[in-house]
Amino acid sequence: MAQYSETFQGCLIEIDDDNTLHIDGKRIDPVYDNGRGKWSSRYLPYTEYDSLIDLGQAIVRDTEEFTGDSQ
Amino acid sequence: MAIRKDANSLTSAERTELVDAIKVLKAEGVYDQFVLRHANTPMGDIHRCPAFLPWHRRFIWDLERELQRVSGNTDLGLPYWNWPVGGADASMWENDLLGGDGDPITGVVLSGPFREGEWTIVNSSGSAAGSLTRAFGTNGFATLSTQADIEQVLAVTPYDSPPWLAGSAPSFRDQVEGWTGPNLHNRGHVWVGGSMLPMTSPNDPVFFMHHCMVDKVWHEWQLRFPGQGYLPESGATFGQNLTDPMAGTPAGPVGSRPIDVLDSAGLGIEYDRLMPGTPGPVDPGDDEIELAVGAPPTESAIGMPGEIDVYRFEVASFGSYTLQTFGDSDTFMTLFGPDDPTAEVTANDDAGERLNARIVRTLSAGTYHARVRLYDPSRTGAYRIQVVRNSTDGGDAGPVIPELVIDAAATDGVIAVNRESDLFRFVVSVPGNYTVETEGATDMFLTLFGPGSQTDRIASDDDSGVGLNSRIRMFLQAGEYFARVRHFSSFGTGAYRIRVAAG
Repeated sequence: MAQYSETFQGCLIEIDDDNTLHIDGKRIDPVYDNGRGKWSSRYLPYTEYDSLIDLGQAIVRDTEEFTGDSQ
Repeated sequence: MAIRKDANSLTSAERTELVDAIKVLKAEGVYDQFVLRHANTPMGDIHRCPAFLPWHRRFIWDLERELQRVSGNTDLGLPYWNWPVGGADASMWENDLLGGDGDPITGVVLSGPFREGEWTIVNSSGSAAGSLTRAFGTNGFATLSTQADIEQVLAVTPYDSPPWLAGSAPSFRDQVEGWTGPNLHNRGHVWVGGSMLPMTSPNDPVFFMHHCMVDKVWHEWQLRFPGQGYLPESGATFGQNLTDPMAGTPAGPVGSRPIDVLDSAGLGIEYDRLMPGTPGPVDPGDDEIELAVGAPPTESAIGMPGEIDVYRFEVASFGSYTLQTFGDSDTFMTLFGPDDPTAEVTANDDAGERLNARIVRTLSAGTYHARVRLYDPSRTGAYRIQVVRNSTDGGDAGPVIPELVIDAAATDGVIAVNRESDLFRFVVSVPGNYTVETEGATDMFLTLFGPGSQTDRIASDDDSGVGLNSRIRMFLQAGEYFARVRHFSSFGTGAYRIRVAAG
């Protein structure tokens, strides 16, 4: 099982099997568009990303779910 | 009537009225409910899909009505963000309306009525999540859409195409949304950045001006291509088809289906000006082709990919009718009515000869509308269409309308399929007060016609009876009357009883 984790802006991003994403233990349901070769998520409906780690970092950086408390 | 104006053109008084109304909605908690409605509707149901445009049309229309309510001004129109002249220096970003860009370091908005300390955003759970943030032009798009970008997208047909997702082509919807082409909608969100990036993007009031502009572009496309309709009519994921209820859209003064919001004029939406090349609004009825029951087939054709032909015909009396197409094209037909061009009766693809559509249906008297398109929206082709009344045992009598006897026991009925309605007749020989009502556990809707007519409506009722039953009590002159009953919901079925009583 391929696993990757990193801490980004204080949040733990974990990726399993290149298709499962957790941020601070919260499961994110990413969607992979085979035709476009891009990842997206309900958290960021206007953008898409080349990799799961790019998506995870964007969710941490750009959503209130993971950044609101720090403001 | 409210007129939607370019946000840059609002007067000082109009800006104050709008900002005050937004802040009242925020204080009431209503504004945050809009944020949550957007954030908690499944993304795939309202973005990257055909329902993207009708869902947001209804969404911003609902907020506009709330703004009118709290301002007491029914002429208050939601302003639109005119992207080509809406950059960082535009007056809409001044401190009497939206305030400006966020702090270069933190992104927090520090000016205007929605600045730090004056406006708190919420996360998708509804919890306070800090201050509004913006970061103009720093997230991948340094510029906004130009007029040339908009014109390029306005030339795209049809409305959408399979597989009805991000990247569908050709697709006007997809290009407006921004997955292909110049990128209009997504670009606006990304250009503002900050709080406009996530699903909670309505936290920034510019969201509504942005989607007002998106809606204006769709409105202008509809005016430019009156023969192009919403697609798909059927066959896509539930929630995306023309008559499917859209996710996360509450019951309201208009329906929650795409078909309920296609007509901007019908919603009372008017813009201060249209772009060069967009014709003014037209009466949808002007584009309908009249069919006469029993006439020879009418020659027609789908001349452009995605085009939809709309027909209208009158049913003079209750009976069995056949509406069908002929020819070599693979047609798809949808029937609406009676007397309501948005009430779908049924649809058909291939019940006719070869790949033609054919609908055989018992119809009440009234006006019906049929929409014909090709099954494959990328194709064109000729066809013929005809509507006839079906004969029974060689005559022209058609089915008999069940009769209700005044003061007799209730008659049993059942709504067995979606959108079915049943018709009954009764005869009043002595003028007086009469009560027509339904009984049982089904939520019924009753309409009364007459005297001597199946089309002259004299009363309708939903829930005046026991429970969710209908009841009409009124004075009736002598004559023949007709009662049509249906389930309150287009998608409801169930058994019922109906009776007529003197008094």
